[in-house]
Amino acid sequence: MSQQFKAANSEDIILHLLDMMTLVFHRPSGLTHIVADPVPAILEVMQDGASTPSQITAALEKNFDLEEGADVENVVLARLDEMYALGLIERVSE
Amino acid sequence: MGRTYQTSLRVGPATFRIASEWQQPIAQLSSLYENYPKPKGEFADFTVRLESKSFWRKYFRPTVHISGDFWLPDASPLPLSQGLLAAEMGMNLQMALGWRRHLLLHASTVEKDGKALLMTGLSGSGKSTLSAMLGEKGWRFMGDEFALICPQTGMAHSFPRLISLKNEAIAAMERNTPGDRFGPLLEDTPKGSIRHLVPLWESLEASNQPAKPALLIFPRFGYDKAVREIGKSEIFVRLTQASTNYVALGEAGFKALTSFVDNVSARAIDYQSGDEAEELIDQLWAELV
Repeated sequence: MSQQFKAANSEDIILHLLDMMTLVFHRPSGLTHIVADPVPAILEVMQDGASTPSQITAALEKNFDLEEGADVENVVLARLDEMYALGLIERVSE
Repeated sequence: MGRTYQTSLRVGPATFRIASEWQQPIAQLSSLYENYPKPKGEFADFTVRLESKSFWRKYFRPTVHISGDFWLPDASPLPLSQGLLAAEMGMNLQMALGWRRHLLLHASTVEKDGKALLMTGLSGSGKSTLSAMLGEKGWRFMGDEFALICPQTGMAHSFPRLISLKNEAIAAMERNTPGDRFGPLLEDTPKGSIRHLVPLWESLEASNQPAKPALLIFPRFGYDKAVREIGKSEIFVRLTQASTNYVALGEAGFKALTSFVDNVSARAIDYQSGDEAEELIDQLWAELV
């Protein structure tokens, strides 16, 4: 079974959009992260229930106008690793 | 233990107790801060101590170590002739490391019509000199080192310490400013020559009046005259670097800074002379809605 992820509780993070970047203030750590697309979009679809990389990829493809032929799932996997390292998402044990 | 000389100073909302093993820095401070609002008997927010490292170094080639509520372990001592600078550095250090009532931005600030112009940049960008210059030309000088942003209201509060003029800026300001407002010329300091200038009385008298931040400028001295727009992300990052207490304030700092970035116009300017900078600032100020 594919690894499942869980986004941080919505009350634990504050998202703030600036021009091309989005700020993520992580309340538990007090750290501010500056992230670019597609991280805010991934957080958004995860808040809506998507939890595996495939579900997240499918939700992104449905909700956003993505570049044709882009290897979305690999991009999602790379970003999930980074978001996990920052503490913005958790891995769910099977 | 030898005698301790001391004085209490109030700069904007902050009060300091300065204690020294030598009389000279305290006498200079007392003279230069003579017209500042006096502390009202309350406990000082911070203590700065000017100390010798050993009994002998109090008298023989005396060097001043900066100590106090907050201090840096690797700070180099200064010769006694630069004791005034040591006191000023000590006060800045207390603010940078200890102040929590406001979001503290390393920026100079002047005010006109209730609105504040903030200037921030690296050492040598001219932010201190420009604030001193504008302070003599109809703007209210609010500070050349720290802008204090209230997390609740977003207003800029004044921290009008002595203006620290460096190198070429000293002669430039001496040309048009009465000599009795200057401190002694301090040569061969870690930042070259330094001479302190007392802000105009009107700035000191109004130092408890906040102003609404309206324009943020990133000045750069020594380049052809130009004005550039800057993206909000870059402004945010630069201001986190310019703040000494952004991380310490946590969520309050995040909200104060994002609100500042969203609501304050910002430009980078390059200039070759004070006149050029003044022209650009007047132009940008006039364009504010």
